[in-house]
Amino acid sequence: MSDKEKLKRKTDAAIDALKSPRLRWVMGRSQVKMEIDEGKYRKAVDSIMQEENERHMISGALKEKGVLTVEELAELTGLQPDRIVQHIIALRRTGAIIEAGEKNNQYLYKLI
Amino acid sequence: MTKDVFEEEKAEEGFEPLIVAYCCNWCSYAGADLAGTSRFEYPTNIRIIRIMCTGRMDAALVLETLRMGADGVLIAGCHPGDCHYQKGNFIMEKRYDYIKKAVESGGIEPERVRLEWISASEGGKFAALVREMTEQIKELGPSPFRAVDNSKEGAGNE
Repeated sequence: MSDKEKLKRKTDAAIDALKSPRLRWVMGRSQVKMEIDEGKYRKAVDSIMQEENERHMISGALKEKGVLTVEELAELTGLQPDRIVQHIIALRRTGAIIEAGEKNNQYLYKLI
Repeated sequence: MTKDVFEEEKAEEGFEPLIVAYCCNWCSYAGADLAGTSRFEYPTNIRIIRIMCTGRMDAALVLETLRMGADGVLIAGCHPGDCHYQKGNFIMEKRYDYIKKAVESGGIEPERVRLEWISASEGGKFAALVREMTEQIKELGPSPFRAVDNSKEGAGNE
């Protein structure tokens, strides 16, 4: 995969992340008076933004390729496999992805 | 990241950047209008889109504009305290931090996006800002998302 394609994938994930309800909700909270510490709030938004970016990179790759293993996802997204597993657990919990068979002793995942 | 990847494209001479400016209806758009009626000269690299308020601007729109091939995005609103809708520009100011981070995480240089305050009477400031931003983007080089490499013909010289 060329650098240009990688960049496109990254930017598309960032756009999708900005459109995601989760990130919109926390970003919107800055408009109302809050009782929580500003520093803690910003840190939380940053971490949510990063999570959303990474999850959209994973779901973008799955949308494009259909079914993929963790190893393949790591190759396509440039993320660490352990980080991908964490996101897969979260995405499975929300029902966004499911297992779809096995390949080379690894589970395949697909979007619902 | 993009700096290293597209070094060759940047090296090409005569690159004319395409800057999309989102100007608020009440101050910045009037400021841009004043720049025109006052006959201040500024580069033709800018494309102005009028919006009612910067506070109404979607964060994803900035990234989408860059993704569609713009070399830079300018968001221009009323000075703090002068917003027609009381606090629209303050909302944008906070959102701008996240926009910058999102642009960076999307693999694009955050310097391509700028937030500025321009009042209806600051035609000269608008012209100077466009000149300055055009130079800044020229230094950064073309956006990696340019559909067609128009560095020779120049996007702003159509």
